[in-house]
Amino acid sequence: MDPFSTPYMQRALLAVVLLAIAGGLFGAWIALRRLAFFTHAVGTATFPGLVIAGPAGIAAPVAALGAALVYTAGLARLLRDGRLGADAATGLLLVAALAIGSILAGDVFEAGAGVDRLLFGTLLGLSDTDLWLAGAVAALAVACTALAGRTWLATGFDPGGARALGVRSGLGDWLLLAMLALAVVAALPAVGALLVSTLLVVPSATARLLASSMRGLLGGGVALALGEGIGGLWLADAVNLPPGPAIAVLGGAVFGVVALARAAA
Amino acid sequence: MTLIDVSGLVTGYGNGSPALSGVTFALGEGQALAVLGPNGGGKTTLLRVLLGELPVLAGSCRVAGRPAYVAQSGRARLDFPVSALDVVLMGAYARTPAWRRLRRAERTRAHAMLERVGMDAQAGQRFGALSGGQRQRVLIARALLQDAPLLLLDEPFTGVDRTSEAGLLSILDELRAEGRGLLVSTHDIEHARRWDLVLCVNGAQVAFGPPADALTAHALHATYGEEMVSIDGETVAVHSHGCG
Repeated sequence: MDPFSTPYMQRALLAVVLLAIAGGLFGAWIALRRLAFFTHAVGTATFPGLVIAGPAGIAAPVAALGAALVYTAGLARLLRDGRLGADAATGLLLVAALAIGSILAGDVFEAGAGVDRLLFGTLLGLSDTDLWLAGAVAALAVACTALAGRTWLATGFDPGGARALGVRSGLGDWLLLAMLALAVVAALPAVGALLVSTLLVVPSATARLLASSMRGLLGGGVALALGEGIGGLWLADAVNLPPGPAIAVLGGAVFGVVALARAAA
Repeated sequence: MTLIDVSGLVTGYGNGSPALSGVTFALGEGQALAVLGPNGGGKTTLLRVLLGELPVLAGSCRVAGRPAYVAQSGRARLDFPVSALDVVLMGAYARTPAWRRLRRAERTRAHAMLERVGMDAQAGQRFGALSGGQRQRVLIARALLQDAPLLLLDEPFTGVDRTSEAGLLSILDELRAEGRGLLVSTHDIEHARRWDLVLCVNGAQVAFGPPADALTAHALHATYGEEMVSIDGETVAVHSHGCG
């Protein structure tokens, strides 16, 4: 039987395709700019926003995006001081976000706040809003890569020389972090905070092992994200697994095989 | 035409205390200036204030147009999937609107700049796979594509072998001859001797003028202090890696 014949699988397939486009394109910049930990952290840092969303009557994606942007702004501020390394600052603020979320969930609102859904997502139960958000992020990924790609490339390649090239590095960096926060929020309903790297980091990290050009990295990331996403959905249906973890396992296996093949070559 | 006119310049990094002070010099078209100093002496600080990245805390600092900057090639990310041609094309970013593709004419010019520095045969090679001297030449080609009248070069001979160094010096001589201004930060006193002007800095300006006037034993001792040694009657500066 065709695994994509049911409406819920068709919606999951549409979400995977849209998120794969966003993940493959943004993933290239995540890999090049060493933002994998940030990408993972910003998803989990949406926790306090999601706790507040229900009691405050705010739509969950809006609350999650608000929390993600507050986290991003706080991180940028900490990094500007220069006293903490990027990883230490990312981890420090992540712990703070989790602590605030836990206190709000347990002691203030006494609500579970859909913690399971935040952590693992559910590709088979996506709302129209989730799909529209994924579509918007895919469109933004295409537009931003076309319009800001040169800025991101020059800044990442040679931060000291980028400004002399007439590149607006500071604005570009802000845009990149904000776009990543948005992409992560869009991916949360589908794969959850713990597996958000599955679509946003792993395919491009794999493509990076093979690509010798930016075009190869961007195209390879999208192709791998699509292949792993659709393949993971098929696998989930075939062996009765949750789709998010199935995509994660497939992505990890592909990365492992490529890495081993490269090491052996 | 004066390309750089600096008078009584004081600059720093925002923590209140100046990193470099009392700098006064001018550089015209077709002139090459060596900025000589120890690690932490303010060479890179001077380049950064000329690029507009650091504030002028006192005095004045006027630069004609936007200078091109040639960073140390080791500071670029060598793991990026970019070719030598891709790197040179970055020199056309400022004049290409974000929504437009780089024009074919820019690619043709980028090839011409690579040809000029003797690197067109390596245009398609990954930047990170090139030698230190080759990377430096690619970065100079990028600066040439910017078409800037003034080039700021941050220790361009660091990590470069003697043969490549001779090639680089020859390219810089050509650029000077065609009227471009060059400001080259260096540790090397011998390099400094071959330029038109030398500016010695060590937290503040120590000396400025033609090499014969600026590179006196007194000025060099004030610039390098304990880092000076004498070998076979020649005074040389001993330095560690890094930059100031």
